[in-house]
Amino acid sequence: MNACVDLIERSVAPDASWIRPDIFADEALYRLEQERIFGRCWLLLGHESQLPKPGSFFRTHMGEEPILVTRTLEGEVRAFLNLCRHRGAQLCHEDRGVAKSFNCRYHGWAYACDGKLLAAPGEKQLYYGELDKEEWGLVRVARVESYKGLVFGNFDPDAEPLADYLGNMAWYLDILLDRRAGGTELLGVQRWRIPANWKVVAENHVGDEYHVGFTHGSQLPRPIESRAAPIPMAREIRPELGHGLGVDVIPEDISPGERGGFDEEVNEYLRSIAGEMKERLGEMRPRLFPIHGLVFPTLGMIPILNSIRVIHPIGPGEVELWSYCMVDRDAPQQVKDILVQRSIAAFGPAGAFEQDDSANWTGVTRNTVGQQARKHRLNLSMGLGHEGEVPGLPGEVGLTASDINQRGFYLRWVREMTGVSA
Amino acid sequence: MTPVDAQLVTDLQLWYAREARLLDERRYDLWLEMVDFGVRYQVPTRYLTAQGDVGDFGAWTVERELTQAADVFLIDDDYEGVRTRIERLQSGMAWAEMPPSITRRIVGNVEPGEMREDGGIEVFSALMAFKSRGPQERSFLTAQRRDLLSRSEGDFRLRRRTVIIDDTVLMGENLSIIL
Repeated sequence: MNACVDLIERSVAPDASWIRPDIFADEALYRLEQERIFGRCWLLLGHESQLPKPGSFFRTHMGEEPILVTRTLEGEVRAFLNLCRHRGAQLCHEDRGVAKSFNCRYHGWAYACDGKLLAAPGEKQLYYGELDKEEWGLVRVARVESYKGLVFGNFDPDAEPLADYLGNMAWYLDILLDRRAGGTELLGVQRWRIPANWKVVAENHVGDEYHVGFTHGSQLPRPIESRAAPIPMAREIRPELGHGLGVDVIPEDISPGERGGFDEEVNEYLRSIAGEMKERLGEMRPRLFPIHGLVFPTLGMIPILNSIRVIHPIGPGEVELWSYCMVDRDAPQQVKDILVQRSIAAFGPAGAFEQDDSANWTGVTRNTVGQQARKHRLNLSMGLGHEGEVPGLPGEVGLTASDINQRGFYLRWVREMTGVSA
Repeated sequence: MTPVDAQLVTDLQLWYAREARLLDERRYDLWLEMVDFGVRYQVPTRYLTAQGDVGDFGAWTVERELTQAADVFLIDDDYEGVRTRIERLQSGMAWAEMPPSITRRIVGNVEPGEMREDGGIEVFSALMAFKSRGPQERSFLTAQRRDLLSRSEGDFRLRRRTVIIDDTVLMGENLSIIL
């Protein structure tokens, strides 16, 4: 434990202007992350739309723990370790579906959708009627809370409420989640393994605007004049330490439907909901166009392409990325279809952007494993000391491409790992 | 049983062998000539899903495992999408394929299906696809291809391809090659 604290202090600068890649490769740190980060932070389980009726269920992970999420017959969302309390067998083997109960295939213990132990074969004859079924229900994830459709879980019974955990980030999430009365729905999921440390993937989502001109050169219009010119509309926003997003601020004389980059059907849709958005979100937020973001630690977002993803860690050198499409539930089907097609053409395992991202994340992880490479500092200094405030935007702001959010991510990581602020 | 058109099977096998060779040789310009302008190229997501009653094998379908209505594909391209995919590979900046993967596609189990009135032929086949970029980047997958080919002047063109990958979670870092 002390060795871990020493390593953390040695590996992240007090202002996070540099880090050492020891924190990607170290096995002991990874195990501590499972306890301190994934055992205590709010993690995305999914969306209420994935549980359309009583008995609906899906499987996911919280950190490395296999999780079963259900809607009870009373309509409540619950999450459990996907594990039979009898001998520890995996309880549910399907990815998703609808079930009246969950029956363990090992000895037949049966559980209700609310986690109660319904029956154990031989209760009377073999257990002499002495098995306390109240005591042997499924292990519940201590806390399950929703924010406007997104369902989160937390293993820590004493965790702060989800709304406090999101803090100012919620104000920005509302641009996606609350712009229409009908809310959103999640479609999918694409799942794939990338041999990369989870923090390498997370830091890219939270604030890396700088990579776009280089990593995604194959997708930029030609000729490429400057790959790193400041983008006048771009802001990197750190609503709270650890959370972050990049937005384009659309000038007042341009309506969201004229921002560009969309098919005419989508522009038409955006124009049609402009009044509703303004009513629900006020004057400022309809003009903020979120591009990328992260809710600490592993809820990644590419809102400009309708992708929401969870970065599940599978050991220090691998992640399983789960990417969903998120659309307005009440959007016309044609608009949803266009948005989904755009999304998967760009992101996901076959996406024109994300293929090249994953090649970079893999390279960083693989090349910093060596004893020599691990010792040397990596730079996160862009825009340090140039953070500012913008009236009307909660949080600290980088006025163009900046590492402000990556620094926030690593400072939050240190805080969660050591219990003290860096 | 319908009599087997041996010539058709041979023609199809040769067509698939040539297609695989052109892709492995990265002759994308020639491969695109095998693709119809109206093509739809789809790779569904796949899920572990309960099947029907044990006694009813009619309900034990692969279809239940694939992309449903409120769902996403891994790839859903029209001709423009396919062409853009190829252009990306040729941009010199598609880092997932720069340097390019060394690939081998093996296509077998070629089985003609329904003949359509408009001359289209449904064809089932099995694909083994391997790619490598050095010892640390090697991946292998198998899949079913469900194709619809059009036939004119003795040649086939790809009008529809659905690739059913035999994994629920992809293991190969990305899907950077044409399947």
